[in-house]
Amino acid sequence: MIKVIKSGPLLTIQDFGRSGYRHLGVSQSGSLDPYAQTIANCLLNNDKNAAVLEVTVGMCELEFECNTVIALFGADLNATLDEKPIYPGWTYNVKQKQVLKFSTGRAGLRAYIAVKGGIQSSVIMNSRATDLNAGFGGLNGKSLIAGDNIKITPYQSEFTQCGALMPPKRKIVRVYPSPYAELFSKQIINGFTQSSFKVSHNSNRMGVRLQSDDYSLTHSHSLPSLAVSPGSIQLPPNGEPIVLLNDAQTTGGYPLLGTVIEADLHQFAQYKPLDTIEFEYVTFEQALKAKQKLKGHLNQLSIALKSRGLGNNGGR
Amino acid sequence: MQNPHVYALSNNSLLFDASHLSANDTLSIQNKIWSLASHCSTSGSFIDVVPAMNSLTLYLKQEIELAKWHEELLGIWNNIKPNEFVAKHHKIKMHYNGADLNYVANFHNLSIDDVINLHSEARYAVLFLGFLPGFAYLNGLNEHLYTPRRSEPRLKVPKGSVAIGAEQTAIYPSDSPGGWHIIGHTDTPLFDAKLKKPCLIQPGDTLEFIPISVGK
Repeated sequence: MIKVIKSGPLLTIQDFGRSGYRHLGVSQSGSLDPYAQTIANCLLNNDKNAAVLEVTVGMCELEFECNTVIALFGADLNATLDEKPIYPGWTYNVKQKQVLKFSTGRAGLRAYIAVKGGIQSSVIMNSRATDLNAGFGGLNGKSLIAGDNIKITPYQSEFTQCGALMPPKRKIVRVYPSPYAELFSKQIINGFTQSSFKVSHNSNRMGVRLQSDDYSLTHSHSLPSLAVSPGSIQLPPNGEPIVLLNDAQTTGGYPLLGTVIEADLHQFAQYKPLDTIEFEYVTFEQALKAKQKLKGHLNQLSIALKSRGLGNNGGR
Repeated sequence: MQNPHVYALSNNSLLFDASHLSANDTLSIQNKIWSLASHCSTSGSFIDVVPAMNSLTLYLKQEIELAKWHEELLGIWNNIKPNEFVAKHHKIKMHYNGADLNYVANFHNLSIDDVINLHSEARYAVLFLGFLPGFAYLNGLNEHLYTPRRSEPRLKVPKGSVAIGAEQTAIYPSDSPGGWHIIGHTDTPLFDAKLKKPCLIQPGDTLEFIPISVGK
């Protein structure tokens, strides 16, 4: 068990989220940074989809009621284990009664905690992810609060510490072309890639809202509802784009400026209010290459960890 | 005749857009959308098949199939026969006792009984689901009941509420904020995440409201 002493602004149980239910209006939910989840789980030799804790901003405090091993990934929110600093990208043995604390960080917004064997909340519609809007999954469908107990399986053995690098960050987010390039004026499409956007305070797990002073992207088009998904970039008439994330609704009526490519979408987990973002359109081939490159990085990592595990078998 | 547009949105998603075809024939176009959705779901090639308003978005399991489906969708569409899609019909038992029932009647200069009759005589088609899990966008509201949304949305519309907003009526599957006028409620659960089949209503189904009580 892990006991929540302080939750901070938002602390949720997540995995890769739900698929196969979008036609019923069920959002994906799940870790906003699935690569952070994947690497954290790989470091512990967990299933990649094992449920993790997503810490937003920080300011949270957790007490472990049993021995386990954790892996930390994502933003550096200045975590400590019994007041000793610990760092994202590494595994740590945790003893019963030890306290994991996050203050907050200068860069990045969300940290991920994986535990050996994964978080054991109940599976709803093939996922343990918390659907905050519909109120199911995770623990009672809600963000965690002080006093909550998170179920985990104790792990007694010593685990040899290992670490992994974060995939490099890109400054310019790559985007698939808009299906509505003909509907929008050239000015809007060009303005979108020539502007520098600021992340609005009004952003959350449903979407990152963007504002720009450079160009006006206002328009007066409205469309019959169409399906949207994480990565869709909506342009409401007020000209302020919204990059939809995992908790977004499944349909929407704003025209799309395009879709963030798979390899770059995870970066949106880490943008904070007032961070700046720029976009560029890329081809389908470039998007595929970028995804394969990231996948290659993850494959190499899991091979490296496995061979290390083989050489290290005695340690288990 | 104009053809629907097929767009690749990403390496694993396609948008089939028929929304520009004919503004006064949305229901028969939507009927073909449901047939196309059913064809695509059966193929096993997709993670998600999501109908919306006269469009269908397809999320592929494998990127390698993108080109094939991009090419074939239009042919499949053109070979869909009318009435190929067989809808399931639901009878939703309803208490006409909503907080805004009087408002809706007064707004249209109708009696409460008129509102109930107009609302329960219609047979509604589930165009698609969205907004919330199990929230069905229904086609078929009698135009005498079209009512502009409330100027101030309620912070909480209770689960099971049946409401009217502009040209639509809907059932709230869970508690939610909402700006529609509540005319009654149903005890029939529409969505329960814990069930093996969590959602009672599927896109393309039809439904009618059966009045079982009036007033408090």
